[in-house]
Amino acid sequence: MKAPHFAIPSRATWLPYLGLPLLVALLLPPVRHAAESSMTAHMLVQYAGLLLAGGLLASLLPVRWQQGLQRWNELGIAGLVGSALTLAVSMVPRVLDLALLDWRVESLKLLALVLSGAALRLSWRPAGIVVQAFFLGNVLPMMGVVGTLYQDWDTRVCNAYRLDDQHDLGLALVWIALSVAIAWLLQLGLQRREPAPILPTGAPDAPAGTTETLRSTTPSAGKA
Amino acid sequence: MLRTTLLSLGLALLSYLGASWLTEGFQVWTAEGARRLTVIDRPMAAPAVNIAGPDVTRRRLSDWLASDGRVTIVDFIYTRCHSVCSALGSGFQQLQQAIAANPSEGVRLLSISFDPAHDDAARLRQYASQLRADPRQWRFVTVPDHAELQRLLDAFQVVVIPDGLGGYEHNAALLVVDQRGRLVRIFDYTELDAALAYALALVPRRAAG
Repeated sequence: MKAPHFAIPSRATWLPYLGLPLLVALLLPPVRHAAESSMTAHMLVQYAGLLLAGGLLASLLPVRWQQGLQRWNELGIAGLVGSALTLAVSMVPRVLDLALLDWRVESLKLLALVLSGAALRLSWRPAGIVVQAFFLGNVLPMMGVVGTLYQDWDTRVCNAYRLDDQHDLGLALVWIALSVAIAWLLQLGLQRREPAPILPTGAPDAPAGTTETLRSTTPSAGKA
Repeated sequence: MLRTTLLSLGLALLSYLGASWLTEGFQVWTAEGARRLTVIDRPMAAPAVNIAGPDVTRRRLSDWLASDGRVTIVDFIYTRCHSVCSALGSGFQQLQQAIAANPSEGVRLLSISFDPAHDDAARLRQYASQLRADPRQWRFVTVPDHAELQRLLDAFQVVVIPDGLGGYEHNAALLVVDQRGRLVRIFDYTELDAALAYALALVPRRAAG
């Protein structure tokens, strides 16, 4: 095996190699049980860790694979749709309870979150500002609403977790949603100063929707 | 773009099916909701675990519940509890009054302690008198054997977790058990009237006179 090429250049090239150890660590039964012993850790440590591990692993994919996937994921739309829906489903309180009891739910949850992390990594840059905004516009308000509900309810939404734990998680979700929104807007402001294309996919001159350039090298007869 | 659209639609369909499976067709969002729904669809027979308490010596719960033709409203408690169990206790006091007003109506109450280490018969007797429970309508038991207790909690999906202060948090509710000893309906512990009305509706109408 020669050194693989990275489609997404990374300042620290060793960083993606942490993806596998991170994933293995999160899946180790003692770590998994510790992370799932609290509702807050379940979402903020385990969910977040799995997303991160998936993202790191995705950047190790060979360029050709990434390009192949890109054909099914123009503007990152499929990836972002998939991860937004996965995040929505994973925040259903029953999922947290069931994951502790039913190995099928637990396995699907772990797999879906790793894949979502990978999808986010592969889709984020191709998405461009508009699709990113659409994704965040769905996911962040959802997190905010879920967080607010978790805080406001004096009934436990998870039988396996304590009420104070639920309130902590609710508060944290609201703060995370706000922080991500602010961070995205800030980087948007910084990015706008540089000559970055708004939709950085395919050929810069190609109109939206004609990103066949990855496959065909010969220009097709341009019938407008 | 066609492939991206197809994949997006496929993922949306997959998520829809997954969410539908996890929420019983978008009816429930919590495990507690699912538990209550499951019981309505499939009544759950009480397991044959040994119970003990004041004036109830080592009998099987299933037999006790099916013993005298009355519908039983069950709650799970521990006597050291000062939060939700107190609410359950005063709720059961109200139910007891309502039942005592018409003793022929065929409903009784049972409080099951999930803390047998502390709640022996003597402690339960003391707790019962504290709550002015009338043994004709309201009994207190525990399941002394830990494995059996867990079997009961699993069957009725009662989840008990340490509250970090030496006590427990648990999904407190009113469990209606029919004359055959099957858990048929679960109500919020605030829904006293609904639980009693439901229990009364299970009692067969006796021929007048």
